[in-house]
Amino acid sequence: MKQLPQDYYELLENLQAVDFVLVELTLYLDTHNDDTDAINQFNYYVKERKKIRKDIESKYGPLMQYGNSYSGNPWNWDDAPWPWQV
Amino acid sequence: MSTPEKSYYPYYSPYDPCKPIKVKTYSTPPNLYLGFQPPNLPQFSPKEALRAGTLWKPLYDPYYSPYEKAKEGR
Repeated sequence: MKQLPQDYYELLENLQAVDFVLVELTLYLDTHNDDTDAINQFNYYVKERKKIRKDIESKYGPLMQYGNSYSGNPWNWDDAPWPWQV
Repeated sequence: MSTPEKSYYPYYSPYDPCKPIKVKTYSTPPNLYLGFQPPNLPQFSPKEALRAGTLWKPLYDPYYSPYEKAKEGR
């Protein structure tokens, strides 16, 4: 079966790093509601994540489904590799 | 003040048949000394934060069990 290019793993790692930053900032902002710097940073990374996700999905198909991602034609979100196979 | 580990020296009797444990260490991560987290702490880059396990540098705690050699992490 065709192997995934290295670029796929790098993009996924970027997505994972940005996701982690968003998780940390969310937890931080839960207790620091008026920390505007952190809010600005959070919004910056939300935009960043959207860019990375669009980039990945344009190259390698949808990441999630049930309305979280656009679908390719034919329906391809359930193709290999699944997250645990990557 | 904020040390990653602290240790204490339990008493052991000279007649104790088993090999005495002379020093016992326990982990004291930085968040114990932080209380309410102040804003604008220095941060890691996203990639480093992913490896370090936290976004803020002062909260970083590389847990090494006292038995394995204390590997010098970041």
